[in-house]
Amino acid sequence: MTAALAHYLDVATRFQAAPEQASAPQWLKRLRADALGHFERQGLPTTRDEAWKYSRLGAIAEGAFIPRTDVPRDSAHLSAVVARLGLPGPRLVFVDGRLAPELSSVAGLPRGLTLKPLRDAVREDGELLESLLGQRALANEHAFTALNAALLEEGVLLRLAPGALSEVPVQVVFLTRGDAPVLSSPRILVVAGESSEATLVETYASAGPAGSAATFTNAVTEVTLGDNASLHHYKLQVEADAALHVGALHARQGRDSRFASHAFAFGGAMARNEVHAAFAGEGGDATLNGLYVGQGAQHLDNRTALDHAVPRCTSRELYKGVLDGHSRGTFHGLIRVRQDAQRTDSRQQNRNLLLSESAQADARPQLEIFADDVKCAHGAAVGRLDAQALFYLRSRGVPQAEAERLLTYAFAREVVEAVPAGPVRANIEALLASKLPGAAQREVTA
Amino acid sequence: MALLTVRNLHARVAGKDILKGIDLEVAPGEVHAIMGPNGSGKSTLASVLAGRDGYEVTQGEVLFDGKPLLELSPEARAAAGVFLAFQYPVEIPGVGNIHFLRTALNAQRRAKGLEELDAMDFLQLAKEKSKLVQLDAAFMNRSVNEGFSGGEKKRNEIFQMAVLEPRLAILDETDSGLDIDALRTVAGGVNALRSPERGMVLITHYQRLLDYIVPDKVHVIAAGRIVRSGGRELALELEEKGYGWLGLDGGKKATAEARR
Repeated sequence: MTAALAHYLDVATRFQAAPEQASAPQWLKRLRADALGHFERQGLPTTRDEAWKYSRLGAIAEGAFIPRTDVPRDSAHLSAVVARLGLPGPRLVFVDGRLAPELSSVAGLPRGLTLKPLRDAVREDGELLESLLGQRALANEHAFTALNAALLEEGVLLRLAPGALSEVPVQVVFLTRGDAPVLSSPRILVVAGESSEATLVETYASAGPAGSAATFTNAVTEVTLGDNASLHHYKLQVEADAALHVGALHARQGRDSRFASHAFAFGGAMARNEVHAAFAGEGGDATLNGLYVGQGAQHLDNRTALDHAVPRCTSRELYKGVLDGHSRGTFHGLIRVRQDAQRTDSRQQNRNLLLSESAQADARPQLEIFADDVKCAHGAAVGRLDAQALFYLRSRGVPQAEAERLLTYAFAREVVEAVPAGPVRANIEALLASKLPGAAQREVTA
Repeated sequence: MALLTVRNLHARVAGKDILKGIDLEVAPGEVHAIMGPNGSGKSTLASVLAGRDGYEVTQGEVLFDGKPLLELSPEARAAAGVFLAFQYPVEIPGVGNIHFLRTALNAQRRAKGLEELDAMDFLQLAKEKSKLVQLDAAFMNRSVNEGFSGGEKKRNEIFQMAVLEPRLAILDETDSGLDIDALRTVAGGVNALRSPERGMVLITHYQRLLDYIVPDKVHVIAAGRIVRSGGRELALELEEKGYGWLGLDGGKKATAEARR
């Protein structure tokens, strides 16, 4: 056993044996204990594991990250960070993986929606949680999901009653302070009843000063969409340079349901984002979009998996990467069309723009098609800025750096514009503008 | 003083000598036409003046307003007042036409120490200038040249020139591939932009353009050199006799195409 595995086993064992966990319900204790077993059996993945071939996990192994136990207090600084990142409307805010009640508010939550901390849901909605936690994200198939489940305590339940509609986005915000090597293990559970519709924004950000300590966030989101339900899901990962992030979202889609995932990965030294969608009923529609923007030595890893298990479902994927400096971006997209899944219509695109000589992109589309009456298309491309376009802009007086920025934004905007106009998109546009190369420079000269 | 002075300009592309000693002087207010057969170096001259990558100047110099031009970046040349209307305007998906042009104008204004135009003032300006070439508002909101017809692209070039108000405009085969209506529109725009302070260089393959834009001087370029210079009558002579009488290969073919 490696020292790293021993460390995380020790962390989880201590957590489960802590006196304050004695009163936890039996089903939860069992879930955690089983997960610990799965984690121990699988061990920490390495680049020798096919599914983790491109992920640089060394820092997670070496970091000796530990969960935070003290409850975060409100502060003017944290409030300001939340105000800057967040949107008006109901939200739950977590700091270093712990719920921050003073920064949270569920005022204005539309009728039919329940948004509550997972701790409360464990007490109040035990049966529901017992039936759903760990059912989409399987601890026996994914070491980090197992670790998350072994430490399962904090997180969110978002529940939509049948027919419930929410015009306002619901937000969950995860901040890290960067004053200690903290491990956060949030679990987000979404249960959408028949014909309900909502928007959920998950934001991961750092509240510490530049040069803060590395943190490790290991998040799992489980989504269950009832028949004809619709969820617009946004993940904005804008953590600090030193942050490590592993996130996995698993959605199970009922008949005629719609699931749209928009994943924006701008931050972190190493950030892996997984989105898995499985069709459990006919007529489902999934959109998996992503934009990853890397600089410096960032490593941004994207993994998608679509499981077309039933007929007549549609999926659309568009992932784009903008990579500068020594950064590396990867996209691995699996589309599985099972034998019964006739009339599947699936399209996948991955495009990468390299802005420097030493930036790197790896694209790996993977199609496994066992049905014969299907439409499946995929494409992957890695390129650089168009020299002709660059000269055209410069010949009109646009300075080179600004011209590069214009063209880079033009490349990235396709993913941003797939987000319906409104406060969520405006927020993403602002985050992207401050992330694109040359942003700081332009702000100074403006 | 001359606006543009080209002295003994030699340039090569991909190891091949294309310009072999060009001399040219353009004064403010003058319109010069440069004609010549395919491969004579017309477009290379335009590219060298605008600062396109991949062109190596091996001899000679270019002065703009008495100052060396060739050491400036393309954007600095633009800010100094040089404008190139492209033979093949580039399509730039995702960059809005009007946003691009405002960015360009404001970059030039910044370089000159002028205040930037805000969105409202710019829109007003653009609206007015677009009338020159009858470019309707729908084009302004589309991506730069994306999906434009050949004529629309060329009109967009002249529209940009109208907004940027350069001191020297180089029009590289702006007339090529245009139907007569589009040619009239483009020529009308160019004529409206003639002014005592502005110099223009029309690079063209076809004499027809000069029926609509009357030049002050005509130069014939062949094999990288200007072989004849004269007044407008030189263009008419070319129209009548082709390039052949100048002892140039390929000239007859070019003129034959022009007559068709």
